[in-house]
Amino acid sequence: MVILREGICPGINEEFIKALQSEDIKTVEDFVSCNLEELAQKCSLSYKALVAVRRVLLAQYTAFPVSGGDLYEELLSSTAILSTGNPSLDKLLDSGLYTGEITELTGSPGSGKTQVCFSVAVNISHQLKKTVLYIDTKGGMCANRLLQMLQTKTPNMEEQMEALQKIKVFRVFDVFSLLACLQHLRSNGLQKASVGGGSVKALIVDSVSAVLSSLLGGKQNEGMSLLMQVSGELKMIAKDFNIAVLVTNHVTRDGNGHLKAGLGQSWSHVPRTRVLLQRVEEAETSSIRTATLTKSSRQACHLVEEFDLCHWSEERRTSISGKRKLEERSKP
Amino acid sequence: MHRTVPSLPLAPSVKVKLINAGFQVASDLTDMRPLQLCKEAGISQEEAVEVLQMLRDDGQPHQQRAATESLTALDLLHQEQAQGSIVTFCSALDDTLGGGVSVGKTTEICGAPGVGKTQLCMQLAVDVQIPVCFGGLGGKALYIDTEGSFLVQRVADMANAAVQHCTLLAEDTEQRQALEELTVEKILSNLFLVRCHDYVELLAEVYLLPDFLSEHPEVRLVVIDSIAFPFRHDFEDLSQRTRLLNGLAQQLIQLATQHSIAVVLTNQMTTRVSNGQSKLVPALGESWGHAATQRLILHWEGLRRLASLYKSPSQMEATIQYQITVQGFRDSPDEPRPVPDVSAVSSQSGNHSKRPRMEDLS
Repeated sequence: MVILREGICPGINEEFIKALQSEDIKTVEDFVSCNLEELAQKCSLSYKALVAVRRVLLAQYTAFPVSGGDLYEELLSSTAILSTGNPSLDKLLDSGLYTGEITELTGSPGSGKTQVCFSVAVNISHQLKKTVLYIDTKGGMCANRLLQMLQTKTPNMEEQMEALQKIKVFRVFDVFSLLACLQHLRSNGLQKASVGGGSVKALIVDSVSAVLSSLLGGKQNEGMSLLMQVSGELKMIAKDFNIAVLVTNHVTRDGNGHLKAGLGQSWSHVPRTRVLLQRVEEAETSSIRTATLTKSSRQACHLVEEFDLCHWSEERRTSISGKRKLEERSKP
Repeated sequence: MHRTVPSLPLAPSVKVKLINAGFQVASDLTDMRPLQLCKEAGISQEEAVEVLQMLRDDGQPHQQRAATESLTALDLLHQEQAQGSIVTFCSALDDTLGGGVSVGKTTEICGAPGVGKTQLCMQLAVDVQIPVCFGGLGGKALYIDTEGSFLVQRVADMANAAVQHCTLLAEDTEQRQALEELTVEKILSNLFLVRCHDYVELLAEVYLLPDFLSEHPEVRLVVIDSIAFPFRHDFEDLSQRTRLLNGLAQQLIQLATQHSIAVVLTNQMTTRVSNGQSKLVPALGESWGHAATQRLILHWEGLRRLASLYKSPSQMEATIQYQITVQGFRDSPDEPRPVPDVSAVSSQSGNHSKRPRMEDLS
């Protein structure tokens, strides 16, 4: 909706706008969809002037169709696939996180979502030498752990410090601050972040459910709107700037006691790919986790991969040296 | 400004009227006078004034910076290294937690009745006051008691033991000087106690915490013992409970980060029946499990008390043994048991399965 103001097009001046407002036409949409002949009679404005203004407004505000071929070319040239740093996860995600898309990780407390986010951040900042934006809403960001992970990748301290400098952390704890942060990033923050640090390639939000879940349900009527605004901002950032967005979500139990991702059905349409992390049932003490693909547009769903959280701290563990069982079994 | 009107923190009814009047972006509103806004949007004068006030505050540099400032991970690393942690006087637990209860994070302690949650909380309230030269934080503590299990006499005993412990450690003059000021009376006077009787009082108290913490910047620990009690009985609407708890958790982590304090919450246990087996799990539901940054589960194994780190962003899972003595929360004198086979893991007491220490695996 664009408000009609004087100056948005030659021919629109103060009187013009007043005359239109008396007929309850306030926005461009109202203007182009009304009947110009009637309007000319009621407002005593010239028909020719109205038609001319309409033509200009249509030219200015219409969206133009793009051919599929052009879109495909653009996609090939601009999409990048970012490895998560863990081969099993990469296999599950069809070789990694795709830019321009939102990927979601969900799982019970302690299932390793934050660890996977750290691993992605470290991999991108160290291996690919690109900037990563990390929005932390739960206080789980621990720079010491990032350093630990970097230390297993390279013993060189300068490289470690450089990689740490490429990870920018934002700490927001409620949905309005999150929206302010995302809108700021979209308007000018991203350019600022990329200067001097390599372009931004990934945005990690950990977690999106912490700020949204208290607003959904009950007699509150704003929760859905804010959820959709957050998803809109994330998608726009992903598409416009060719960034891979990774979000984490919590799980709840449904009536039968099965785990399902939080934030409901409406949110389930937002991410392109969804992965569920779980502890391995038999050995509760181990650091092995299973990742199940629950939604994907590229692979068959319900693919399961196992991986070891200790893969990212191989140095400390001499006995179990980061075994990753690359079993692929489809769930019955 | 680049904020869209639907994303502003205003009442939904006001926002609907503003959007219907055609305002899309916050910059559309900044040049308006209250009366003008009143007429165009059809909102009352007070609402118009409120909207413009909020926009003006939002435009202030420090408010904007709060949402948009970013630290690099390197800055965060320096910050974390400068921040201390609160020791628990049980060295095994301190090692598991990476030095102690970390400042700037929320830690949840779950456990069956009588296993030692309140004892640990009282110990932490004493330990946070250990002077900086002894390796502590030298800060004050706020104890929010919802169950009525806080006993001043016990805290006095623990404080006494802590002072004696420090006396034995004092080596140089700075430490001796600090020791002169460290008395049981001083420790008790630096401990603020609040008693909340139901969840409304608890929510109100947490709402007032930012002002309290600004007035008392030396507070380094906030304990809520327990957060489960007021929410577990007489609460009919479970989804409302979940929403309130999630909101509370976000407020607490915001306080922890902004004021550099450690927040410790105590939770109770409940039984979950699945597949014909019953298991003790932390109370307050599945989504509450995501609320705290770190989770420590205390459980019994026969006559031994064990603590397991269940969830942490930076530490590995581990289980250690501790004991409660006259002096407070301490290490257990037993040798750490060698890790048994997985098949021997028993759940006779129906507790959470044992988690042997990872380093003992061979």
